[in-house]
Amino acid sequence: MRSALHLSKAEVSPRVSAKNHRQTRGGGAAWPYFMPAVVVFTIIVVVPILWTLVVSLFKWNGIGGMKFAGLANFQHMISDPVFRQAFVNNLIFTLLGTCAQMFGGLVMSLLLICIEHFRNFMRTVYFVPCVISSVAISQIFSQLLAVSPPGVFNSIIQAFGGQPHAFLSDPKLALVLVTLIDAYKFAGIYMVIYYAALQSVDQEVLEAALIDGCNWWQQLIYIRIPLIRAVVEVSMVMLVSGCLKGFDVSYVLTAGGPGSSSELVSTYLYKTIFLSGNFGYGSAISVFLAVECLVAIWILRKLFGKDE
Amino acid sequence: MNMKKMHPGKATQGIVYAIIAVIALVQIYPIIWVMLSSLKTPTELTNGLSYQLPKGIYFGNYARAFSQSNLLRYLLNSSVVAVVTIVVTIALGAPAAFAIEKLRFRGSGKVMSYLLLGLLVPSFAALLPLFEAFNKIGINNTYLALIIPQMAFNLPMCVYLYAGFMKDIPDSLLEAGWIDGASTWQVFTNIVLPLSRNTTVTVITYNFVFIWNEFVFANTFMTSPEMKTLPIGLNDFVGMFGQTDLGATYSAIVVSMIPTLILYFFLNKQVIAGMAAGAVK
Repeated sequence: MRSALHLSKAEVSPRVSAKNHRQTRGGGAAWPYFMPAVVVFTIIVVVPILWTLVVSLFKWNGIGGMKFAGLANFQHMISDPVFRQAFVNNLIFTLLGTCAQMFGGLVMSLLLICIEHFRNFMRTVYFVPCVISSVAISQIFSQLLAVSPPGVFNSIIQAFGGQPHAFLSDPKLALVLVTLIDAYKFAGIYMVIYYAALQSVDQEVLEAALIDGCNWWQQLIYIRIPLIRAVVEVSMVMLVSGCLKGFDVSYVLTAGGPGSSSELVSTYLYKTIFLSGNFGYGSAISVFLAVECLVAIWILRKLFGKDE
Repeated sequence: MNMKKMHPGKATQGIVYAIIAVIALVQIYPIIWVMLSSLKTPTELTNGLSYQLPKGIYFGNYARAFSQSNLLRYLLNSSVVAVVTIVVTIALGAPAAFAIEKLRFRGSGKVMSYLLLGLLVPSFAALLPLFEAFNKIGINNTYLALIIPQMAFNLPMCVYLYAGFMKDIPDSLLEAGWIDGASTWQVFTNIVLPLSRNTTVTVITYNFVFIWNEFVFANTFMTSPEMKTLPIGLNDFVGMFGQTDLGATYSAIVVSMIPTLILYFFLNKQVIAGMAAGAVK
């Protein structure tokens, strides 16, 4: 397996090794390789975020001067009913979305490992919504759920003699629909992750269990699922942080409405900045969202006892 | 006999196949539906039931979608942004991963953690300052306005994917290169990059799907009609024609999906690997 170029450590003379050591571990020769990325990342990601932090302490509409306001924007946030609703909606969106995608992904992946044929085909099919833009997905569902002309859902309801229902204008349903459509788009990713993990469970362990008299279901419940626990935990971190940042479906499908029934923190901050021109307050909400994401991940890490 | 027991019994499998088929149908139906609906004639769309199959194949909707909107222009914009962004991201990300994983300078772990912070914070936190800065230097409504932020925000994932792969390249291979007199840059371009080819394909496909579908930056920085990308153009088009011309709307939706779908069907292994590795929305 050794390539022609291959030399083991012992074959490298100490002098050359020491030179390489200085060259590679000393830091001098490494910086041209990583500095461009670090500089670009700092200027375009880190500095703007710090600037947002500064702006959040000012009253500013973008045109006039900036007036220092201390924590006034944050105080306003606490008493703003729309923000409070957006925050609660965000938590519901995250909780429901995480559960839906995790269980959806788990069920789909478990079903896939049960069968002997068509696994790759099915995996491909399940994953299709993940490669389509959320704008396209939102527009498709907006047509499927439409009242006039009736989309598929309302056509079926009418075919059974029911009254058509304006699903997306129903304040009780809007948030749930937004959450489920977002989950529909992304569930395939988690199916793929769990499927890969389930596949990689050591065959010998499974065979040993078989010899000990475990049937297939017992293998699943006592061996396979416990063995992929770490993967499920990691995916939960990805899911929670992804859902907290959720934006597209709510913005495109319902624009946060009706009223603010499907407003998320991200859609509210976007409207505050770019539609109302309230830069200071919008920045404060941005800071809140960033902190919320970091805190959520920190809590999850603590919960799973990860000290990375 | 042993192998048989690795799977559940025949009867159970039959039920499982049926459930899988139903879920697959639910998963794929909205996409098939919009494709079929885009082929219906205007009369079918207004008089027929929305779940019926089209009676024939009618391309008039596509003709109208292309003539009433800048779809071609949007396609071009999305392609330019995607291609340039991917090239720049890899040009910055691959060497960084190489330095972090293979040159192992002091503090390389810290550099990695610093870059990975980008996966945790929402891009919204940088949106307003970028918008203001781009306005000041006058690059809103140019390709740069999308290439710059997309490149920077996709960089962490790119470095992460490359670093994960480069970790497994044996050090001795690089040392051999150095002994043969190759410079570090030559070792990187002649040994490490060619070995990382699969990762490069993964990074390209992963980034392509994300950049092509990106909404927030494009919606904020590209306001002039001819600079919009496909998702934004599609959104505007539906806003204008959504109620009056369903056929053209369906066609525009299909056109916006086609490039990523084609890429997916050719490279589905890499797309799946890339998305699974970086499923940070």
